[in-house]
Amino acid sequence: MIAPRNILRHELIGLDVLVRDAANPLHRGISGRVIDETRNTLVIRTACGDKRIPKSRTWFRFLLGGGVLVEVDGSALVNAPEKRIMQHAKKRGP
Amino acid sequence: MRSPPSHSRKIARERISILFTRAQEFFDDDPAASHRCVVLARRIAMRQRVRIEREFRRRFCRHCHAYLVVGKNMRVRIHRGKVIVTCRECGRQMRYPLEVRHGTRKG
Repeated sequence: MIAPRNILRHELIGLDVLVRDAANPLHRGISGRVIDETRNTLVIRTACGDKRIPKSRTWFRFLLGGGVLVEVDGSALVNAPEKRIMQHAKKRGP
Repeated sequence: MRSPPSHSRKIARERISILFTRAQEFFDDDPAASHRCVVLARRIAMRQRVRIEREFRRRFCRHCHAYLVVGKNMRVRIHRGKVIVTCRECGRQMRYPLEVRHGTRKG
């Protein structure tokens, strides 16, 4: 289940997203559905085509199931999709 | 070598399931996006050492990893006690046994 506590490690493809703030002013306000993810970018399908947005220095607002909105610093997502699972795993024990 | 923690593997299983659901949704509009979902699901499975479940494993080509939909890019025939699946993206075939013995379902 995708939740705010595990969004950094979970699947982003298929989520509705809004680019709340970005280093590139032209990227601000882009909204749509995530259709692909690479190490450094998200591809968002919008009404006017697919947009490839860099993760770093961008704030995303994701809509999760049940209408929950989560704001994420894209810099925390910079890693290959399959590697993000391990990246933010809690460290156990001393 | 140490295996990944169980909570990571749980997320991996959920992500694989989500990716195959998305692949199905994307297929009509954009088959390339579906194929990409399969590639990502396989990468997650390999890195976390999680088995892709049987229902998902039969939904993509084992040779070119294309997402397969019956009647669109996949042909299913039965021949000599085997299910012959032809991928119409790469033209290669997969064969699955038709008869399944109890307790040995792995295909």
